[in-house]
Amino acid sequence: MTDDKDVLRDVWFGRIPTCFTLYQDEITEREAEPYYLLLPRVSYLTLVTDKVKKHFQKVMRQEDISEIWFEYEGTPLKWHYPIGLLFDLLASSSALPWNITVHFKSFPEKDLLHCPSKDVIEAHFMSCVKEADALKHKSQVINEMQKKDHKQLWMGLQNDRFDQFWAINRKLMEYPAEENGFRYIPFRIYQTTTERPFIQKLFRPVSTDGQLHTLGDLLKEVCPSAVAPEVPVPEVCSWLPTWLLASSAEGSHLPSLWRDWE
Amino acid sequence: MAEEQESTLLLPPSTAPEAEVPAEVSPETATPEPPSSAAVSPGTEEPVGDTKKKIDILLKAVGDTPIMKTKKWAVERTRTIQGLIDFIKKFLKLVASEQLFIYVNQSFAPSPDQEVGTLYECFGSDGKLVLHYCKSQAWG
Repeated sequence: MTDDKDVLRDVWFGRIPTCFTLYQDEITEREAEPYYLLLPRVSYLTLVTDKVKKHFQKVMRQEDISEIWFEYEGTPLKWHYPIGLLFDLLASSSALPWNITVHFKSFPEKDLLHCPSKDVIEAHFMSCVKEADALKHKSQVINEMQKKDHKQLWMGLQNDRFDQFWAINRKLMEYPAEENGFRYIPFRIYQTTTERPFIQKLFRPVSTDGQLHTLGDLLKEVCPSAVAPEVPVPEVCSWLPTWLLASSAEGSHLPSLWRDWE
Repeated sequence: MAEEQESTLLLPPSTAPEAEVPAEVSPETATPEPPSSAAVSPGTEEPVGDTKKKIDILLKAVGDTPIMKTKKWAVERTRTIQGLIDFIKKFLKLVASEQLFIYVNQSFAPSPDQEVGTLYECFGSDGKLVLHYCKSQAWG
């Protein structure tokens, strides 16, 4: 895994320059300036936007403020999706900075989950990690950890501490020497071209004849429309083993693969 | 959802998934590999028709949470966890403000917007998805 450290760091420290603007119909006591922020791709909107909230609440009256929510070009942004995923799905072909609109009214109940506190984000994150480990290790590794290890994983994410996070996460990336990899690869494939929220299926890292599966194998198996003959599969597919992607993308919680043929 | 469930009560296992789950070799698949290769769950991308088919869910109560008289339900794949929570709360006559948590594998609580069909694909066994429900947080 030491060779992959650069990749792990690049994934962890990925940032998206973002401009937050208050929705025009919000009631303010004076003009609200836009707020600029570099968002971490691996984190969650409601975890990293306290300063955004404070900035806009300064020009609003308390009675006009309820739960904050974010929207891009009319689409409410699901805070429980990683920031990088939201950007890649919705805005990757637009010019930077990513322009997000901030709302404090009319929470879209049908589209978004509520996020009343940081505890809710932590619970969601830990559930994702547990689900991933259920696939990778039948939950053995995550269950053997102490509560304080779980806490360290969360604090590492919350405080943007790569070493703190990976001190625990590396255990979730290991597998017994006699095995060739995880039991199943935890993955989710998101596409803009479909109604389905995402594709998630059982997929082994190694074929029955001992060959390491590649990203291309995965896509062909679970998302064949993504590898239609006229769409060239990126070169990386032909040699990058799926377990490596699972390890490097977004740590141990379900890595999300999103299409970017550019 | 309540109406649906009452009319599809107690589907015995023999009439359920075996017939509905597509054969391992799906004609749509692009790869010529034999069925025993990558995916353990059969088939590639589900054809649209499959999203209408129901999966069997077995509900188990945790702790002193009331036990559902009917435990086995046939549920549409696209039903969300939140939909299931609302249904159980209604069935158990819980107050709206009371919380209900659902767990998979007695280890994680899926997101409320997660579809039961996906959970069944990844965590189902013996033709059903076992879910534990609890009024308090059982497994964190």
